[in-house]
Amino acid sequence: MPNSKFSNNAFLHFLTLLLFKQKGKHIGAILISVIIIFLLSSVLFISASLQHTLLGTLEKQADFTVSRVEAGRAVNTPLSWLDKIVEINGVSRVTSRIYGRYYFAPREKSFLIVGIDFFDEQNSKALQKLSQGINLKRFLSTPNMLIGKGVQAFLNAHYYKKSFSFKTPQGSFKKVNIYRTLPSQSDLIANDMIIMPIDLAREIFGLGEADATDITFNVPNGAEWDNIIAKLHLLFYDVRVVEKREVRKAYENLYNYKGGLFLILYLIAMVTFMLILYQRYSMVYSTERKEIGILRAVGWSIKDILKLKLYETIIVVFVSFVFGVILAYLYVFVWGAPVLNQIFLGGANLSNHVVFVPVIHFGLLGSIFLFYAVPFLAAVLIPAWKIAVTPPKEAML
Amino acid sequence: MVKEFFMFGLFVLLMAVGIVSHYMTYNATEQASEISRIVSLTKLASPSLSVAFYEPRIFLLEHAANPAYPQMQPINKMDFVYAKQ
Repeated sequence: MPNSKFSNNAFLHFLTLLLFKQKGKHIGAILISVIIIFLLSSVLFISASLQHTLLGTLEKQADFTVSRVEAGRAVNTPLSWLDKIVEINGVSRVTSRIYGRYYFAPREKSFLIVGIDFFDEQNSKALQKLSQGINLKRFLSTPNMLIGKGVQAFLNAHYYKKSFSFKTPQGSFKKVNIYRTLPSQSDLIANDMIIMPIDLAREIFGLGEADATDITFNVPNGAEWDNIIAKLHLLFYDVRVVEKREVRKAYENLYNYKGGLFLILYLIAMVTFMLILYQRYSMVYSTERKEIGILRAVGWSIKDILKLKLYETIIVVFVSFVFGVILAYLYVFVWGAPVLNQIFLGGANLSNHVVFVPVIHFGLLGSIFLFYAVPFLAAVLIPAWKIAVTPPKEAML
Repeated sequence: MVKEFFMFGLFVLLMAVGIVSHYMTYNATEQASEISRIVSLTKLASPSLSVAFYEPRIFLLEHAANPAYPQMQPINKMDFVYAKQ
């Protein structure tokens, strides 16, 4: 509730009266501003949240991934490479991986199948942590798999409620039971993922016993990384080495690019909006001119008029900014950014309902506010000042 | 109108406080640890991009075979559907 000092202030009375009486004029400007702020903030929120989550996983990733290339494309990596890599000094946790996409031709959708060696102690421990209380013996006794939420939704919709039959390259079918669903919090990574024992994955992909998709390993001493890469290139001539530093750059660049693209669109929209606003106020339709003229005639100084317009605009700017940011926050972090998430995560395969972790860069929000508020204020105050300096009689004509 | 103005200001402030409290109290660690568990098991940390079959799904390890004509599926992608002779 307003206190007596504020409620008795004539200037405040007049300011609020103007704001409410001319609400039609302000609502238009607020609406466009809210849309622009909302769109830009949403994009920045999504890109910041994705980047934050993905960069957080880097620690768990292997330092190096090695795969064999043939004619510029990745092919199966021989497991004999693993023994050679183990012998390099400074290398630890060398392991082979099997993964690939399974294409479900009737619906033109694909799943990412990952084969895991559950007899490896680290992997079995990681599985126990991932799926609390899982009975590994029971899981490995029959062909079983763990599936992501997106895969579950897709299989359910196609009446594969308990199992799915994979078509192998030999033309036979391999029936695999759905053991459990991966937690929905991991949808960002595992929405289209199927985790199964490594031998089962080998069978479905038709991989030989001596082949893997790629080999990963760690090099704890960061100063040795370049040296290790050189050694790998001396050991194998048809090798592609991907290091963690590149993965970090890829994450940063992908979402910066998309955020940047929207920033350009935002700038175009912002400039257009400012031009419209400037034109609207500089053409100054008769009521606006008359209003300033009357105020000047009753004794208001130029300073008072500019003060009135400044406060009026600051309120409009602040309200639209707060509404825009709040709406963007709700849209991204509460409702999961229904349409925009497809721009960042795609929509051609299985639908993904990701929950974005709230991440806000307050410095960035401050910059948006400044970029938005300063031109807005200029677009309103300059024409108002132009009228205020003309004699009241001329201004009212 | 001053009273209405302050009521409106209070409404905006309440909304802002609601958002800030959601941001402060959100349990982000649970989601981060679930994702970390998946990554430590699979060693794959690419986001689950919902891309068509011929487009790269895993960062850096998969590459589009022909960006100019992405609808042409690379032969190696179909290897497991039609067995190699």
